[in-house]
Amino acid sequence: MRVSIVREIGERNGASHRSSGSTFSLRRPAASAVPLTQHPTLISRTMLSMLTTKEMTVRIASRIALPSLMLLVAMVGQVAADAKVTSIAVYPTDIALSTAVDRQRYTVQATRDDGVTLDVTTQATIRAADPKIATVESHTVYPAADGKTELLIDFQGHTTRASIEVAEVSITPAVSFKLDVMPVFMRVGCNTGSCHGAARGKDGFRLSLFGYDPDGDYHRLTREIGPRRINLAFPHESQLLEKAVAAVPHTGGKLFEPNSEYYNTIYQWLEAGAPQDEGEVPAVTHVDIYPPAAVIEGAGSKQAFVVRAHYEGGVTRDVTHLAAFSTTNDASAAIDEHGVVTAASRGEAFVMARFDTHTVGSQVLVLPKDLQYTPPKIEGNYIDQLVGAKLQKLRIVPSELCTDEEFLRRATIDIAGSLPTADEYHAFLAETSSDKREKLVDRLLARKEFSEIWAMKWSELLMVKSNNQVSYKAAFLYSSWLTDKIANNVPLDQMIRDLLAASGGTFNSPATNYYQIERDTLKTAENTAQVFMGIRTQCAQCHNHPFDRWTMDDYYGFAAFFSQIGRKQGEDYREQIIYNRGGGEMQHPVDKRTMAPKYLGGDMADTKGRDRRAALAEWLTASDNPYFAPSVANRVWAHFFGLGIVDPVDDIRVSNPASNPELFATLGKKLVEYNYDFKRLVRDICTSQAYQRSCVSNESNKHDNRNFARASVRRIPAEMLLDCVSQATETKDKFRGLPLGARAVQIADGQTSNYFLTTFGRSPRETVCACEAKTDPTLSQALNLINGNTVQNKMRQGGVIGQTLAAGKTPQQIIETLYVRCLTRKPSEEETKRLMQIVASAPTAQEGLDDVFWAVLNSREFLFNH
Amino acid sequence: MPSVRHAEQTLPFFLCLVVAVSLLESASAVEPQISAIAPSGFQRGTEVDVQFRGARLDDAAELMLYEPGITVKELKAEAPNLVKAKLAIADDCRLGLHAVRLRSQSGVSNLRLFAVGALQEVEEVEPNSDFASPQPIELDSTINGVVKTEDVDYFVVEAKKGEPITAEVEGLRLGYTFFDPYVAILNESRFELARSDDAPLLRQDGLCSIVAPEDGKYIIQIRESAYGGNEQSRYRLHVGRFPRPRAVFPAGGASGQSLDVTWIGEATGPRTETIVLPTTTPKGLLYAKTDRGISPSANVVRLIDIPNVVEAEPNNSRNEATAGPAPVAFNGVISVGGDIDHFRFPAKKNQRFEIHVYARSPLRSPLDPVLNVYRVTGGARIGGNDDTVGPDSYFRFTAPEADDYVIQVRDHLRAGGPEYTYRVEVTPIKPKLTLTLPERVRYISTTAVVPRGNRIAILANARRANFGGELTLTANGMPTGVTAEIPTMAANRSDVPMLFTATADATPAGALVDLVGKPVEDKVQVEGHLKQRTMLIRGQNNRDVWGHEADRMAMVVTNEVPFHVDLVEPKVPIVRDGSMQLKVVARRQEGFAAPISVRMLYNPPGIGSSAAIRIQANQNEALIPLTANGSAEIRDWKVCVTGRASHAGGAVESSTQLATLRVADAYLGLTIPKVAVELGKSTQMVVAVEKKQDFAGKAKLQLLGLPSGATSEPIEIDAAATQATFEIKVEDKTRPGRYTNLVCRSVITENGEPITENTRGGELRVDKPLPPKPTAPAAPKPVAKPVPPKPPAEKPLSRLEQLRQQKKESE
Repeated sequence: MRVSIVREIGERNGASHRSSGSTFSLRRPAASAVPLTQHPTLISRTMLSMLTTKEMTVRIASRIALPSLMLLVAMVGQVAADAKVTSIAVYPTDIALSTAVDRQRYTVQATRDDGVTLDVTTQATIRAADPKIATVESHTVYPAADGKTELLIDFQGHTTRASIEVAEVSITPAVSFKLDVMPVFMRVGCNTGSCHGAARGKDGFRLSLFGYDPDGDYHRLTREIGPRRINLAFPHESQLLEKAVAAVPHTGGKLFEPNSEYYNTIYQWLEAGAPQDEGEVPAVTHVDIYPPAAVIEGAGSKQAFVVRAHYEGGVTRDVTHLAAFSTTNDASAAIDEHGVVTAASRGEAFVMARFDTHTVGSQVLVLPKDLQYTPPKIEGNYIDQLVGAKLQKLRIVPSELCTDEEFLRRATIDIAGSLPTADEYHAFLAETSSDKREKLVDRLLARKEFSEIWAMKWSELLMVKSNNQVSYKAAFLYSSWLTDKIANNVPLDQMIRDLLAASGGTFNSPATNYYQIERDTLKTAENTAQVFMGIRTQCAQCHNHPFDRWTMDDYYGFAAFFSQIGRKQGEDYREQIIYNRGGGEMQHPVDKRTMAPKYLGGDMADTKGRDRRAALAEWLTASDNPYFAPSVANRVWAHFFGLGIVDPVDDIRVSNPASNPELFATLGKKLVEYNYDFKRLVRDICTSQAYQRSCVSNESNKHDNRNFARASVRRIPAEMLLDCVSQATETKDKFRGLPLGARAVQIADGQTSNYFLTTFGRSPRETVCACEAKTDPTLSQALNLINGNTVQNKMRQGGVIGQTLAAGKTPQQIIETLYVRCLTRKPSEEETKRLMQIVASAPTAQEGLDDVFWAVLNSREFLFNH
Repeated sequence: MPSVRHAEQTLPFFLCLVVAVSLLESASAVEPQISAIAPSGFQRGTEVDVQFRGARLDDAAELMLYEPGITVKELKAEAPNLVKAKLAIADDCRLGLHAVRLRSQSGVSNLRLFAVGALQEVEEVEPNSDFASPQPIELDSTINGVVKTEDVDYFVVEAKKGEPITAEVEGLRLGYTFFDPYVAILNESRFELARSDDAPLLRQDGLCSIVAPEDGKYIIQIRESAYGGNEQSRYRLHVGRFPRPRAVFPAGGASGQSLDVTWIGEATGPRTETIVLPTTTPKGLLYAKTDRGISPSANVVRLIDIPNVVEAEPNNSRNEATAGPAPVAFNGVISVGGDIDHFRFPAKKNQRFEIHVYARSPLRSPLDPVLNVYRVTGGARIGGNDDTVGPDSYFRFTAPEADDYVIQVRDHLRAGGPEYTYRVEVTPIKPKLTLTLPERVRYISTTAVVPRGNRIAILANARRANFGGELTLTANGMPTGVTAEIPTMAANRSDVPMLFTATADATPAGALVDLVGKPVEDKVQVEGHLKQRTMLIRGQNNRDVWGHEADRMAMVVTNEVPFHVDLVEPKVPIVRDGSMQLKVVARRQEGFAAPISVRMLYNPPGIGSSAAIRIQANQNEALIPLTANGSAEIRDWKVCVTGRASHAGGAVESSTQLATLRVADAYLGLTIPKVAVELGKSTQMVVAVEKKQDFAGKAKLQLLGLPSGATSEPIEIDAAATQATFEIKVEDKTRPGRYTNLVCRSVITENGEPITENTRGGELRVDKPLPPKPTAPAAPKPVAKPVPPKPPAEKPLSRLEQLRQQKKESE
């Protein structure tokens, strides 16, 4: 079938198969790779051509049980909805075709007045203004003759148009290995890690993982001695093709049909003698996915996506059939190999298409059909505006605001890492001013504990820890440096510039420990990207990143910033001197190229005569840097919500998009606007309604945990929890290098820990990953609290009950004190009644109250911030 | 004689020391130890009561001080672990650290440091760990304190506006433990006005100073830099108005020269003064002195008699280089970050100079210099250096052509500041000689303990630079009654044994002996003295962090020890690939029966000796086996054996005389062949003899290393023999295989003593006899049939016979 289509097109265009000559031009795919029968929109088109909407509704209604027509239900639903279509759009709007074999799929999207979008590609009336220039068939525009024309779309009275430009129809380019064959390997999955892309290949054949080394792949395909991978005399007998179509046993199974477009591409390349591309082939500059967003309603409704690649020199190409599609949420919006999304349960998804090294995505919201939703009024600051807008899109109603008691405890733990004291509790509840929450946040932000928590968080990310290379003194000074910077409100950008460009002794200039704690050049580069940009580049060390845009060139270009770090021992053997050697280059491991320093996702760096690290620090902290500020802001956000807008906070990539991109960008902008004073950002966050929401969910938001419609219940992190336990029991802890009674968040050296902290997931500071500090509840934590000696010993040491009894308080008063002290609330009447019974039945009041105290400390309400 | 240990009464630290010492050298009860001196420093011009704590101090007799200025008024051992002394510190006693050893009647202690200060002494009084309640002290005093675990000590002084307040701490420098102090000056509102962790001038010890911004109280804080500390973390904190410059510029000149210098780095600003460079030792110590006081420790300058040239800024480019003659000492300051200094000097073609940038050592400048040398014509870089001498730079320069050359100096991190002073000395390449004493016990500096009427030998090491040849060593200023026997050090050797002998009537005494080395040939003019490092503080992996460098060797004459040892000088040489038994004879004092372990002081190159030989209890002789390898140097060596025995609960030592050990070439060159033999048979092994030296009489040869069951009789050959044939008999029980560990030992007797030579090589292969020729397979035996008579056993055939038989059968 495939061959016949090619022939047909060739004849239609009056073009003969010949090479484009010495100048290299892109070869367009000859025809759709999608079998017509598999494309749902094609089915409906065929049907609809015979039926009017009305007729169809009637006929469908009478044959509703027919499974073969089930698919149509959704389509009917779309067009039959009550809401009115307000606009239509066609994608792409600028169709450019060159050479005889080019083509371009398009998609038409209608938007209703309630924001829901419909894929009306099949229902709209579409034609080329001048059929002599271009023809339209199966939602695809084909070239006919050089010239310009327009694609005209009409749907329910709405019209739109796309420009069409056709050139070089007389040329049929030869199949290119890199441009045509390599994408097939990628699309059908030959070069994945589980197949031939594995480091040692598979079943004796190796391809570079995700095609990072096309020249190497060419060599292995055509020159490696072994089984007959290619047979130029009888191309169809090439093992390459026989395996792919499962004509001979293939561990990977059947990948495509004989005579499919993929088959033909490879066949034609073999037929041409399996030539290597001459000279440089144009690189893909960017890839588009259309439509950019979709809000689809009702399970089963569909939206087809179109993917287009842009090459150097401005050439475009329809790569829908060569792109690999994926979705972040299969349960809501599954996407098939042809780029068609089918709606399922309510939710949101990010559908992605990957072609070459580029991954692009589009947001799809899936709404239940006939949802009753009254948008609540959006109040609060800019954060609430953005969160509210997103919630409205999702038709979610946020939870109510939390109580003053809840807010006091939540904010005090989050901002200051401690429990509110009884005095603070009473004062806050008694306060009547309308801005008392803002005032509380301001009071908490002014406390030293705030900077200590953030110094600890940065210490975790920067792995401040003594080891054989880093003496305790160096780790201590490094931690002190960080604490000092944060306590003195040094803008973050300044701090990071000082850190990245640090030179000198690890004692004298403690920031240099950044380069002493991690001495490996590549890891230093990886850590820098992960900590300060939230980007994980690790994959690209060995191959192009499979889920992001980073290539090996990006990786080694970025690592080149750290290739000139010199180290020598200081006079004190414990001290290392870190300096700029001014020499030393980074080599690309595949072809041994010297990699010039290149900013990740940016331009080549001009580092001549400079410390490369200083240039990097400057670029990173520049106000227009797209990574640093949003990633830091996102980390700050995640501390207060237990979840980043991009989550995990240090895995920002195209395929892990922000749940609220506008909010993500705005927080970054605000941080820059605040001159990197993140304290002000914290104030914005903590005074937002989003932060003040109750943990109690409502019907519309109970299944959503990514859009901040309600507060999440979070286990208090290890250090802060220990500090809270010590605070509640009035006991003191002793840590190395700190006076008795110091708080766990003040621990300088990651090596210093105790059993409690380790059990509760204190960051071991072994990697820069934000996941090092764990807040997952575990059984050993519960057992530690119940049976371990921490709580019991602390209760005994503190002697809180004994003292209060001695002070003449009644058990009821004491129970109330304990509740306020630990849970920041008074016990309910029922609680008081039952607890009093327990106390009364105990041998002594002391024992009974001890039990109550123990129970309160073991309660989930105490362990969690809510 | 101290015989009882009192370790349990001493500090825990000392317990560790005792354990360490006992592990290292099986505890010498006669070796006194000082673990602490209290107080750890004294004010000069006063008389002080001092306690020396340690072990085995009960026959303490004398303090051996390395520098003048301190008079011992009284010294009394109160207990085996405590000696009390009354010391008078002279008014002009040098400020800073002094070294001392304690001599007892039976030995000499380890080296310890104490400090001498100019200010009144105050003891730290705990509690003073709270900022709110610091210990009040007067300005201009020295506090003796301790930073215990995570301890912070606060002191408060009152100062008037404009008064300088300087705090200098001697912590690590006292040499007790790896104590890295941090010192800060705070105002009453807790603001740090100055702080110091490590000061390049004072290594890990801190120094900070301010000018009081107003009348009021100022708090001095001292702690360990990372909140460590322990009972041994003692410090002396000098707090006062005294001058304490961080640098002096120019930092050197000729001894006795009058020099205009600038004192740099004081809170009150730079100060210029004309001084006369000191002529006294230790060399090059300058103490800044004003009417406000004197610096508690010195600034160090270089003393060398070459022209001094001071940099003339701008000299940031080669064209602007400050010019000077050669040899010359250029003095400069990398005054601001990024500053680069250039100096220019002329050189003739092939003229050689040492170009040494002195910054960190000895000036203790913060500068980490990087040196580059360029030729003026054409600007070619001749060479350069960063870190050859610690952080300092050294380059051995040879002028490719007659021209002017430019020296470029910058900081490694391109930092700079007014205290970044340095000197570049361009000097002709001169011979240098330094003597050291190798440690006999790890990490303990070697001393000479000579029992009266007895001998002790120690090894001296020489480091020759820029010359070669034989050296003579002399020991000057030994205690009365001690003589030294020091052979000439060979040109190709860097060590030589020194034997010290005390007469029987010498009285126990101690002296710091000046060891002088000179070349035998007088065409090289150089004199070397001892430079003995005592490691006081060791870091991770026993790295040398802080110690003392002595210019003299501690030597003491002690009471008798109960034995003498003598070496019976061999009358024959030890030959290459040979062995020998060195006989040691002990003369025991009546009643002394303990075993004496004996070992060579050193092994000449290529000679190995057993270190585990003892003269058994009640015995008087032992043989130390020596072996020589094939490349042992052929010459006469002076060797010596030291005996060590337990005595009176401790250990005592005495050495033999220096005896001649001759190393000669082999007499017989033997070659052992490869032979094969079958079990139960015998074979001949013909060892080829290639005589290398003539000898009289017979050489007795013996084949060793044969497998069990194989034997050969010794044989004798004379000097004319060209081969020696051994008859080897191999029994049936011998295990077949290849035996390659054969040794042919020859013993030639000369002067009644054996000369033994051991030749290795060859192979004996023991084979199983080949199986007999297979006969026709026997017919399967019917079970019921009686056993037929056994055919007569065939004689086993040799391989040759088998082959012949096979041939015959095939025909």
